[in-house]
Amino acid sequence: MAIQKNVGEDVCLSDGTKVRDLLDLDEGYISARAIGDPEIHQMEIEKIFSKVWIPVAHESEIPNKGDYVLRYIGNEEVIVSRSESNVINVVLNACTHRGSPVCRSEMGNSSHFRCPYHGFTFKQNGDLIGVPAHKEAFGDAFDKSQYSLVKARAATYAGIIFGTFNDSAPPLEEQLGSLKWYLDMMLSHTNGGMEVIGVPQRWTVKSNWKLGADNFVGDAYHTFMTHQSAVQLKLVPSGDPKFAFYGVHVSCENGNGLGLIGGPPEYEIPPFYGVPQDIVEQIEQKLTPEHQKAFRRLAYIHGNIYPNMSFGYFSWATEDGKNPGSYLTLRQWVPKGPHEMEVFSWVLVEKEAPDWWKELARETYVRTFGSSGMLEQDDTEMWKNITRATKGYIASSKLKFIYRMGIDRKPEQGDWPGPGTVYQGDYSEANQLNIWRQWQKLLTENSE
Amino acid sequence: MLSTNIRIGNPIYFEILEFLQSEAEVLDSGEFRKWLDMLDQEMHYVMPVRTNRERIRGEGFIGDMYHFEENYASMKKRIERVETEFAWAEDPPSRTRRFISNVRVEQTAEHEFKVKSYLLLTRSRGNEPDYNLVTCVRNDILTRTGQEFKLKTREILIDQTTLGMDNLAVFF
Repeated sequence: MAIQKNVGEDVCLSDGTKVRDLLDLDEGYISARAIGDPEIHQMEIEKIFSKVWIPVAHESEIPNKGDYVLRYIGNEEVIVSRSESNVINVVLNACTHRGSPVCRSEMGNSSHFRCPYHGFTFKQNGDLIGVPAHKEAFGDAFDKSQYSLVKARAATYAGIIFGTFNDSAPPLEEQLGSLKWYLDMMLSHTNGGMEVIGVPQRWTVKSNWKLGADNFVGDAYHTFMTHQSAVQLKLVPSGDPKFAFYGVHVSCENGNGLGLIGGPPEYEIPPFYGVPQDIVEQIEQKLTPEHQKAFRRLAYIHGNIYPNMSFGYFSWATEDGKNPGSYLTLRQWVPKGPHEMEVFSWVLVEKEAPDWWKELARETYVRTFGSSGMLEQDDTEMWKNITRATKGYIASSKLKFIYRMGIDRKPEQGDWPGPGTVYQGDYSEANQLNIWRQWQKLLTENSE
Repeated sequence: MLSTNIRIGNPIYFEILEFLQSEAEVLDSGEFRKWLDMLDQEMHYVMPVRTNRERIRGEGFIGDMYHFEENYASMKKRIERVETEFAWAEDPPSRTRRFISNVRVEQTAEHEFKVKSYLLLTRSRGNEPDYNLVTCVRNDILTRTGQEFKLKTREILIDQTTLGMDNLAVFF
């Protein structure tokens, strides 16, 4: 595929269309071509997934020395492991000799990874430590230190593990910016932090990966229609069809963003998502007063860590007459080509919480936002159909998506105690435009 | 009571086979209220998540994460959802076909039967010519009152680790 390798403002697709002409960020229009065009997809792999920090796992998935899981950075499989010296490593799962995957189980514990083809053996950090019949095969000239697995940089924030193959990427904390404040609130509000229950569910959706990110970062508005069934069935305890409006819409640096929603006016919600009292006490000790003020009144948080990990912190009632359950879910939208993604979806809960709270969290998650979730199912239906409906020539050349919701609205801090660019009321497309702004920057900036 | 193998040819075997086949037909026809009537009020319904592991690790099922984790009340919610005008993932509905085979029956108590069956579920959605396919083993416990069977527990052991469907908006 011949992508014109022009730099800066003139990065072009093969028919001469400039990438920047697909977006009108000031007026709020995005060409449908930006969603599923195969050339665009290849540019995203090279200029986004190979350049920025990509979230891949949570520390609690590899708690012990030697633990590992297999994940993806872009469309490439990586081993995320904890070494014997307790360091987290991210390496490409392809032997340096001939490219065979050196790890073939999606999770486990091992002191090393050995290629099943010729037996090259690597440490968790990717160093080559063993070559069968070394002397007979390669003689003395073979310097093992040159043939480590391709190593990514690894870093964690609030328990989330990120990796990047870009040696010159700025520090992770810089990429996250003011989103850190919110990750602290969601993932570090008790001493032990949050832990993953079990393993992520994995499934494929015939959707471009960006639609998941676009939805989670700012689309509180779709809940009115897409999730009307959840309102009618009182999964939404208030029963208010505009339940996702009553909050703030927050744009952070580098495409990050989120929405934070409480109850409708006059509707009382339990503090801190209804966690058990001993967890409340930990929150009151661990979080700053500003964090507490924000966290106390929330029932729904949605957002996205740019580019492809979304989060949802939700409370739903899945059985009549039973208290709602709450949970934090992380989901990675792994690109599998322009028109398909693999979803990894985790559920997390406070490490110190009693078993009954953890079980309620899991059960509520499974019924609402997992692979079979009563809300999730309808989201994937939308994204799949958008991907299908917009990949044709006419849609690509004539259809421009409207991103004008809230475009005339000025940021307004109000009494919101958190950082970022804050808008009152969560029906807005500021965060989605913020994503597209970052997308344009990464695709067109002069790199290499 | 020791469990007793109910062999093919035994009238009870055929009654249970008939129950499974009726259930498949009810689900394929979208008659979810009828299906609800076939479920025990105390029912427990799970589909554990499967992982890709070494042979030494067994079948790769994870004990504490599920694709479905349901009881009667939550299943009722799911069915009520399909009855709203906003269940987009199944409206227009998929065409599903459930093929059941390798049915094995054990009697574990006077009115209780352990039933293992293989299921191939095909799902045709929209105008797409491709099918979504799921294969699994179902480990059921059926209870009998008079001539009527009810599904009391169902454990669905799926063959895929990464599911090949956009969502699991259908029942197993």
